[in-house]
Amino acid sequence: MLILIRGSGCEVSWVDKPKVKKSMLSSLIPGLSSLSQRGLAGWLVVLGFIMVASIVMVTAISPWIAPYNPSQINVGKPLLSPNSQFLFGTNDLGQDVFSRVLSGGGIMLEVSILSVIICLLIGVPLGLFSSYAGGLVDRFFCLIMDSVYAFPGLVLAIAIAAMLGRGVINMAISIAVVYVPSYFRVIRSQVLSIKEMPYVEAAKAAGAKGRTVLSRYIFPNVVPSIVVVATVNFADAILTAAGLTFIGLGVSVDIPDWGWDLTNGRRLLASGTWWVIAYPGLMIILLALGFTLIGEGLSEMANPRLRE
Amino acid sequence: MKDTKAIGRMTMVGIAIVIIIIAGVAGYYTGYNSGNDVGYNTGYDTGYDAAMNVTRLKETLVMGTTDSVESCLDPTRAYDFFGWEIIQSLGCGLVEYKAGATGSIDDIVPSLATSWSVSDDGLVWTFNLRQGVHYDDGTEFNATHVKYTFDRGIGIADEDGAFVGIGYGGIINNVTVTSTYAVKFYLKIPFAAFLSLLACQASFIVDPAHAPMPTNMSDPVSRSNAVIVYTEGNARSSHPMGLGPYKLMNWTRTAGKDYQIRLEANPNYWNASGGYPKTKKMIIKFYADSTGLALAIQALEIDIAFRQLGATDINNMKTNTNLKVWGGTGASIQYLVFQEKYAPFNNTQIRQAVGAAVNRTTIVDTVFLGQAQKLYSMIPIGMFGHTDAFLTLGDPNYTKTRELLAGLGFNETHKLSFKLWYETSGHYPQSPQQAQVMKSSLEASGVISVTLDSADWPSFRTHRRNEDMEAYILGWYPDYIDPDDYIQPFVDSSGGSWIHHNYNNSEMDKLIAWARGNTTAAARSSLYSQIQNLIVEDCPMIPTYQGSAYAVTTLKIKGVYLDITESWRHWLLYAEE
Amino acid sequence: MTLRTYVISRILLTIPMIFILLTMVFLVIRVLPGDPVLLHFEKQENPAAMEAMRRRLGLDKPLWVQYFDYLFGLFRGDLGESMQDYSSVTQQILSAFPATLELAIFSMVIAVSMGIFLGVEASKGYGKTRDSVIRISGIVTYAIPVFFLGMVFQMVFGLGLHWLPVGLRLPPRIDIPSGLNVGSVHFSTGLYTIDSLLEGNVFKFVEALRYLALPSLTLGLVLSGVFIRLTRSNMFETLRLDYVTAARARGLSETTVTYGYALRNAFLPVLTMMGLQFATLLGGAILTETTFSWPGLGRYIVDRINFRDYTAIQGAVVFFGIFVSVVSLVVDLLYAYLDPRIRL
Repeated sequence: MLILIRGSGCEVSWVDKPKVKKSMLSSLIPGLSSLSQRGLAGWLVVLGFIMVASIVMVTAISPWIAPYNPSQINVGKPLLSPNSQFLFGTNDLGQDVFSRVLSGGGIMLEVSILSVIICLLIGVPLGLFSSYAGGLVDRFFCLIMDSVYAFPGLVLAIAIAAMLGRGVINMAISIAVVYVPSYFRVIRSQVLSIKEMPYVEAAKAAGAKGRTVLSRYIFPNVVPSIVVVATVNFADAILTAAGLTFIGLGVSVDIPDWGWDLTNGRRLLASGTWWVIAYPGLMIILLALGFTLIGEGLSEMANPRLRE
Repeated sequence: MKDTKAIGRMTMVGIAIVIIIIAGVAGYYTGYNSGNDVGYNTGYDTGYDAAMNVTRLKETLVMGTTDSVESCLDPTRAYDFFGWEIIQSLGCGLVEYKAGATGSIDDIVPSLATSWSVSDDGLVWTFNLRQGVHYDDGTEFNATHVKYTFDRGIGIADEDGAFVGIGYGGIINNVTVTSTYAVKFYLKIPFAAFLSLLACQASFIVDPAHAPMPTNMSDPVSRSNAVIVYTEGNARSSHPMGLGPYKLMNWTRTAGKDYQIRLEANPNYWNASGGYPKTKKMIIKFYADSTGLALAIQALEIDIAFRQLGATDINNMKTNTNLKVWGGTGASIQYLVFQEKYAPFNNTQIRQAVGAAVNRTTIVDTVFLGQAQKLYSMIPIGMFGHTDAFLTLGDPNYTKTRELLAGLGFNETHKLSFKLWYETSGHYPQSPQQAQVMKSSLEASGVISVTLDSADWPSFRTHRRNEDMEAYILGWYPDYIDPDDYIQPFVDSSGGSWIHHNYNNSEMDKLIAWARGNTTAAARSSLYSQIQNLIVEDCPMIPTYQGSAYAVTTLKIKGVYLDITESWRHWLLYAEE
Repeated sequence: MTLRTYVISRILLTIPMIFILLTMVFLVIRVLPGDPVLLHFEKQENPAAMEAMRRRLGLDKPLWVQYFDYLFGLFRGDLGESMQDYSSVTQQILSAFPATLELAIFSMVIAVSMGIFLGVEASKGYGKTRDSVIRISGIVTYAIPVFFLGMVFQMVFGLGLHWLPVGLRLPPRIDIPSGLNVGSVHFSTGLYTIDSLLEGNVFKFVEALRYLALPSLTLGLVLSGVFIRLTRSNMFETLRLDYVTAARARGLSETTVTYGYALRNAFLPVLTMMGLQFATLLGGAILTETTFSWPGLGRYIVDRINFRDYTAIQGAVVFFGIFVSVVSLVVDLLYAYLDPRIRL
């Protein structure tokens, strides 16, 4: 994906070396105003953040602002094209597409948040431990992670989701399994370079235990890259969740879901009923795009390239 | 100074490019004519034929479908709609239903048998066979082939097939050859629907040269190996049939699904002299889903589209001036099943209450846009014996629902709640939509709360077998055209065991046995009426709708018959040039 | 290290990776679900028949025996029997694979060409509008679900404008290209474009291309973003180097400078990226094939999942994995051959 340049095996490297601890954190903490001072990169993050935040907010307050109950059938005649009463038209069951669009982000957000949490819980400790320990342990985990990483992600996610069955948690697990290697690799590359830094050596010479070194010195430096990978994880999770639903591994039809609307709306394509697909699809794009922009902007801020 | 060599080179390149383009275009158009399988026709010929009153028919027609042969083309194992559809074009039975059949006994006409009679006790059926019919290799069809077919089918007893599913072994005792062109069937029980059974595709006569008998009847592996399955690159070895209107010229499966089937007229077909099949070559192409099929017929890439087009597409095509929409009775039904092993549906009143809350109008109008019929009986409309028994329960009758449930302590604050299951593999049309509409209509009573759950078809079947679904939606296509096929497999204790809904009523079993054994129409009719009323009383299942069959064709196509047999007769289709 | 050492070590590395992959798939498919045989009996539960099926598929043996059977079978190229009709999974996969391969190749071609072209255009004006627009569009295309884009294309180009067909690989009336048929030599690849040329039928070739157009455009477009970004950054660095300035000073046209000199440098990372993206491509192919009725391996997997055909799913997933590993191995070797630096 993003910026990882592949060598052979596990020797990945960033384009630039990471900066030292303090300036890294302070470059991320300040408010949006200083973000925008950082040129295009900053604007990307701001824009992405606004997109994601607004979608999350709208989904959260949708029970109050949706004009109709999104699951109620026959609120209007089926297959009405967008008009004044139904902003986005109605689908084949007479449900209001606009209300469904407002409330349909829930499943996607749940799945992606869950998958990110799982990845963080598994990938981060594993990456830290493996790269710090080095030696055979490191080579072992590296091999496993490489194998999973090399595997076509969607195929693996589909296979796992097919075996586990439908449901939000199962989808999150299958996405997480595919994504853990990315976290692992990013963290590993960071840790490998930080491990050699003088201040870490100094700390070790002063008698600091491994745990302390990891938590006090290495981990904070790794955080920015984790954040970047997490945002990309979010974006990919949303697209993968949509893909899994399209194949039929999604959730029950009771709950409004953009992915389900896309799948269902496909039947109506040949008769020219474009609105059932267009709007939910647009929302998925906006949500995934939002996260991607955040990730792009952050990574460019952390590793500025092509500064002329 | 100009570089003459460079100019010379450029000119050569230019000339070469022009030559390639010309060759390409020429090749394109040559390929267009030879690549297409459309027959070549001169104006003179059409004129001549018009003058002689002979209308030329198109030699090739292309049909598109989303179906696919599920298991194979061997009648001992094939039990799916499309498998039967192709078997019907490749083979023949002793009798058949004439086109446009309504399901009455009069619609059964001779096919490989020319006449028949039945003994008074209904246990012995005698058939006189058609003479002068030949297989591919020149062997003349005779009574031994009939015996062979049934011995093989009952012997192999493939657990996936119709012989076991319908229970041929429990109906037929043995088949005896009495003379070269006469055969007798000795039955174990009097079976009124026997002729209908012989008309269904599982009973079609096979070609022994291509349909081996198992080497060891008691060994399941040997029996399984005798079933003829798809052979890559060899169409003839992929099916055991041989007396039908068509031969299988090409059957290509990619990745476990059909990709292309090509049929060509069989000169040995007994009715070839009647001009059948009307279209000599039939190409069948397979689409992944209804959208692909709909787009193809709208673009006029294919001549015929049959199964499965969505309701929206069909409605849309009705206004399309390039297409013709054919509609007809279907015999496929859908129904809601209750699990009676445990609460809440072990209580008859609860089942009746839920049954009274079903709103068939929304299902038919919203999900199917009017392209179905409300069904008030397990026996389909248009079939002998049908009565609108479930109308007494209401459609819907929320007052009754509330009354019945109030008596058991359910009301607005304490609702009856259960899970409704549906399948997600597309095995039935639009199951998710049906389920949503069903849920909505049940909840409109105010005292019921429904949660939807779903599973793909194989898992759905597992759940069914494990009996862990409280209520679920199932459907049914006819095996043979008789009310018995819509009653015995549902509400008979043994016949309905596959549904796993634990419904047992010995009174019902008795009625069913009488009805299937009795050969008098009046007696059967009265018995089926009693049976349907008993079903409403016991409420083990609620019929919801009966699907209509639809096909869409280009304007020139004729010969489409969508009748209650739900069989698609390729050999009747034609288009004038 | 020499090229030979690198090749050997790289190949040796692939073997454990493939091994882990196989084990992973085995665990996912065999360990997670319940009894696969139970799912395959329609109306009659026949314990004897179920036992027979179990025995035939080797499911009655202990797990570790199944594992070794699976591995040995793989060495022989036997991926087992489909649970639907006991036909060979290997044969089914091989019949479906050419379609996916054809789609993948054309999609990759489109993605790379678009990527290079737009990347070059963007790099020419860093920071200007053209650059920003191209960068943003590269990011946006990646955020579009590939099946959504496919449906949009179907509606616009198929339904609306009637320019291009939207399903299958050839017009329905046309028979499958037979490939080379000279005397007793019969050879076909399964790739319709190649087979129709081998057959000498230009019409089929053109039609095959027409039917390929929308699916590969869909997949290629979504994938192009990565290549745009890569080309852009590499081109930008290269274009500032001395030898490029020297070439310009000598009076060579801008096109020659860009595509002849600078692009050569940018090409190697693109090659690596192609190998990396191959995995993503195959994943996207699954969704694209479902949208366009494309009869390839992706659709096969989706169908088999709906049918709970575990042997087939396992076989297809293993096939995907091995194929991707082989491709990435080839790409890495090619890269090592072309770029001596990597071996150091």
